[in-house]
This record gives sequence, structure tokens and C-alpha cells, in this order.
Amino acid sequence: MPHSAPDSYPRRGFPPRSTALPEMATAVIILNEEREVEYVNRSAEELFEPVDPHGCTMPVLLASCGARGGEEMFADHVSGQDAEGTCRLRLVDERLLDCTSRRLSNGGYVLSLDDVTEHVRNAELANHDALTGLANRKIFRERLSERLADARQSGKPVAVLYLDLDRFKAINDTLGHPVGDALLRKVAGRLTGALHPDDLAARLGGDEFAVLQSGSEQPASAQALAARLVDLIGRTYALEGHTLNVGASVGVAIAPQDGYEPDTLLRHADLALFRAKADGRGAYRFFEHGMNDRIQARRLMEIELRRALALKQLRLVYQPQIHLASNAISGFEALIRWETPDGRVVPPSEFIPLAEEIGVILPIGEWVLRTACKQAAAWPDSVAVSVNVSPAQFRTGRLVETVASALARSGLPAARLELEVTEGALLEGSDAVTRTLATLRQMGVRIAMDDFGTGYSSLSYLQKFPFDRIKVDKSFVRGIDRNSHRLPIVRAIVTLAAGLGMETMAEGVETEAELACIRAEGCDGVQGYLTGCPLSPEAATALLAPSRPLSSTGATE
Amino acid sequence: MSNDLHRLVYYSRNKVAGEPGALEAAINGILAKSRANNAKAGVTGALMFNSGCFAQVLEGPREAVEEVFERIQQDERHGDVSLLAFGPAEARSFENWSMGFVGASVEDAARYGSLGPESGFDPSRLTGEALFEILHGLALDEENAD
Repeated sequence: MPHSAPDSYPRRGFPPRSTALPEMATAVIILNEEREVEYVNRSAEELFEPVDPHGCTMPVLLASCGARGGEEMFADHVSGQDAEGTCRLRLVDERLLDCTSRRLSNGGYVLSLDDVTEHVRNAELANHDALTGLANRKIFRERLSERLADARQSGKPVAVLYLDLDRFKAINDTLGHPVGDALLRKVAGRLTGALHPDDLAARLGGDEFAVLQSGSEQPASAQALAARLVDLIGRTYALEGHTLNVGASVGVAIAPQDGYEPDTLLRHADLALFRAKADGRGAYRFFEHGMNDRIQARRLMEIELRRALALKQLRLVYQPQIHLASNAISGFEALIRWETPDGRVVPPSEFIPLAEEIGVILPIGEWVLRTACKQAAAWPDSVAVSVNVSPAQFRTGRLVETVASALARSGLPAARLELEVTEGALLEGSDAVTRTLATLRQMGVRIAMDDFGTGYSSLSYLQKFPFDRIKVDKSFVRGIDRNSHRLPIVRAIVTLAAGLGMETMAEGVETEAELACIRAEGCDGVQGYLTGCPLSPEAATALLAPSRPLSSTGATE
Repeated sequence: MSNDLHRLVYYSRNKVAGEPGALEAAINGILAKSRANNAKAGVTGALMFNSGCFAQVLEGPREAVEEVFERIQQDERHGDVSLLAFGPAEARSFENWSMGFVGASVEDAARYGSLGPESGFDPSRLTGEALFEILHGLALDEENAD
């Protein structure tokens, strides 16, 4: 129709306006003097289908197709008042239209309607987290900046609560993302339910949420809210037919005392959250300035540890293990030492957890295993070496391979290597760990349970796996001659082990009286400062020299 | 799937404070409101309470039951909510109730002395199943009395 005959075009080559109108993407409605629809173009017709707009007033047309909005403007149309302007219409299918009304010279009106659905949705999406409907990180930060600027004027405090879920990943992994997402929505619901109208809740990403609290007494309000959130979010969920439990940890920072810059305040709340999680989760913590120092110290230690690894500043020392029946050295436990260039010795209890966290425990573990095997190969055939194995080494699934390679390279017979396992290693993925242990034991390697009696359920592990040896934790050995409660425990462990065909070794023996008690209770072996401090490789080798008589008093390094 | 009949049993610490009269009024209020709300959602069930705790069975389409339970979890009048049982059910056991009020008054809590020592009972010692049985029995009792 538009491009029919060239001679119908005006001279300048454009099609007539009346031909363009029906084709316009913008919906156009023309109202007559009576404010009734006289004309609709094709786009407008589609909007109101199946209702035929012709002859309707706008209020009638909108009502008959279930659309909302523009009531005021169209009421003015009908009442004859001048009604130019713009309004937003919402159709029954949630499409959004911006409607502009212009008066015509003949007394009617022309209405143009533009579909702004996508534009509006995008703007909303840009501000909101699509999953939970909470504000997103961008908006949270903007609001935080605004409130902090206000606070600078008014002097009123502003609190930021940083929250994340404990064990969320496990739920996501075991039940799948749809359940994880549904859980996040419920968490968001509980979070919102606990807030005052002035507070703002946001999802910052993953399972991290934040609340902005202003206009209330601090720190009392933040404390009350943090406690409420830990309780509320920690309550059981009934969801998609599952019964679920997650915990929440919360870190709190308050302006002005903890910072006036949005990023500083957020970072401090995050540090407090880090502390809450380190303190055992399911808790809330307020930011303290010391936290910054501790984190800094930790970061520094991380750099130093990586450097120590590269520069091979780690070394092994060897603590004698005495076989009580023969009073002879049956073996040594290899213990790791880290001496920093400034001569400070960092205890393993400090740097091993860090090494696990930053993922360098594997190379360290492997180095320990290879070095200890090589060292032990130089000792007499009757002397074994014990090496600690970390849970992370089990997780790789490469432990068997590493052990086999360390034995082969060093030439140490498998029977002279003992691996010490803690409950921590057994606790995770128990079946896989048990299989690994069984394979190692088939190779001839001995397996010992370390720190026995300090964990949760040692007895069940004894039933699951035939350990060669149980190491009785030093907390039961220290002062055993003076403390009437320790003796029965050690006696029970020795009896238990004997019944299961396992040997026992008492750790941390420091006095002759303790040694006498341990010997009387029938422990097979001892290890401790009394019978021998950790020694350098050279000192350990010297101790084993045939000329040297063995005594029960320890040699020192 | 989401409309499968599910049954949920929980108990919680009653945090409604004040005189016995106030407690009774509060509980009547809760009942009236939940009767109306839950009937719309197709949830029926039974509520048992004394001065110490609430114990409740909810039955209905899974999503509706989950929604009602979520409201309860967010209700400050409940504390220490323990979910004792949640799973599919063959048929409703409290068909004719939008919500059953077991026991006419706070004083009547003593009537359920057989459930535990003194006036209160200790639901933590009961399994979801046992609690459900007790509620069921009491509900039948109440119906017969009408």
C-alpha cells in the first residue's frame, strides 16, 4: 500500500503522512472532540486486542482490557479539561507503556504510546538482585555513600552488617543449585522480615548479604539485629520437601568510629565477619582495630611462608621413640621446623593451618615424606620413621603414589615407614580415606592414629580401620602420676589397643614419675622430652651409632 | 509434585509473655488468624499448647505447608522451633480442621498431665510420630465432645 503509484507521491518524494501513520512502531490513537477513539494505527490495535477501541473513551478502553494507569489524565480528557501530558500504563500482560497526550486543533487529542517495558525492567535489574529481589552490590554501595554523607552532617551513626551463610556450599553441592537458589530466597525473606523500614538489605553475591542500618542507636541496634539474624537464619528450613539447616555469621562495622568511607566500612565489616567465622561460625562480631593488624600479620606470614618454601628454609628434626620392653630406640618422629631468616622459629601449630589454607600444604607434605624416608634409609634396619599426614594429602587422591615414590627413591623398606593420621583426616570422606589407608597398609606401611582421645569419635575409627599403633595424646600423659583421672583413661586405652591387636605409644612424657606410670600400665612405647628432644638429622644419626650407650635421659639438640 | 500432600510436625517454645489471660487471648488471636490464612492455602492441622510451648501438625500441599512453616519461623512469638517430622503423607488426619484448638483454656493444660510431669509436657522427648499420635487422639476427643 505505501509504495503504490509514484505519481501519488508529493513532489519532494515523500509518501503522504496518512500512509506512514499506520506503519509506525509507535502506537497512535486519535480521539475525537467527544474524547472517543476515532482512529488507531496498527501498533495500537495490537496493544488492545481483542478489544476494538473504536468509539470507546480511554477509561472505558483501558478498563475493558484490564490495563491500569493514566486515570487522572483521562478523567481530565473526559471532563473537558486541558489534558496534555504523559502517563504510564500497565497492560494486563505487565507490558509498560508511556502515553503522551497532545491536543489537536480540532479539539480532539492524539495519543502516542511507547513500549518501555524492557527499558524499565533493565533499570530495575541494574539495581536488584534477580534471584532474591534484594538490592544489589551497586545500589548498596550508592546508598551507603549517601547515608555516610548524611551522617557526616548529622553525626548520627551508620552500621553495616556483613553476613554470609555457613555450610551453604555443601547444600548447593549435594542438593543442587535449584534448592540452593530456593534457600537463598528464603534467607532473603527472613533477612527482610527482621529489618526496620529504613534499613536496606542487599545480596552482594553468592551467599553473601549485607544490611545498612541508619537512624538508630548504635551499637545497640546493630547488636540486636545481628543476634536476631544469627538466630532467625539459623532456624530450620522446610524447602522443596527437604529439611535444611544453615548457619549465619555476621560482621558489624559502625561509622564513624570504624571508618567514614564506604569501602573502608565494608572492608571492616568483612574483617569482623572473618573473625566471626574463625571463632566457630554461627556468631556475630564487631570490628575491632586489632583485627586489621592480625589479618595483616597473617598476610605477612603467608608471604614469608611462600618464600621459605622457595628458599628451602623448612627443615626436619627427629624425636626419638623408645620401645619400653627393650629400652631401645625403635624409631623417630619427623617434625617440621620453620626458622625465619631473623632466627625466629615458627611453631608448626601456627604455619601448618596457614599452609593448608593457602594450598601449599601439598608440596610441604610431599617434601617431608621424601626427606624423612631418605634420612631413615641411612639408619639401622631396626629403626623406623614416623611422618604426619595432613587431611589435604588424603584429599588429593595421590597419597599412595607419593608414598610409593618416596619409598622407591630412598630405598627405605615400607615396614620402616609409619604414617600418623589424625581424626581430622578421618573425619572427611571417611570411606575414601579408609581405602587409601588400606592400600598403604597392604604395601607394608604402618599406620598410627595420632592424638588419640582428643577428637570426637575415635572409637568408631578403631572399629573401621586396623591401625598398627595408637598414640596416646599428651593431655592424658602429663601428670598421670599425680592426676587420679588420667591413669584410668590411659589404662583403658592400653587395654583397648591390646584387645584390638594394636600397639600403644605415650606422647609427651616429661618426668621419670610419668614414665614409671606409663611403663606400669603396659604402654609399648614412649616419646617425649624425657626420653629425647627433637634432634637434627646429624644428632639423630649419631645417637644411633653402635658405640653410644642408650640411656633414658634425653640428648639435646 | 509440589501439590503432593505433606505433613509437618514441630514444636516451639512459647514466647508469649504475661498473665495466663493474656496468653489465652494471644493464642485465640493466633488461631483465628491462622485458621483463615491456612484454609485459603489448603493447610489443615492441629495445634497444642501450654504455657511452655506450642506443638503443631500442618497438613496440605507441600509448597503451602512450607510457606506456613516459614511464617512460623519468622514469628517472634515462637522460639527454638524444632522440626520433628516433614514428609509426604497418604491422607490428611485433621481433615475437618483448618486449625484445631486442643484444650479449652490455659488452666486446662493440666489436663494433659499424662504427657509429662506436672503441668507441662516435654515434647523434645517425643518423636514426630508420637507427638502426631497424641495430637491426633486429642483432636478426635475434641470432635467427639462437640
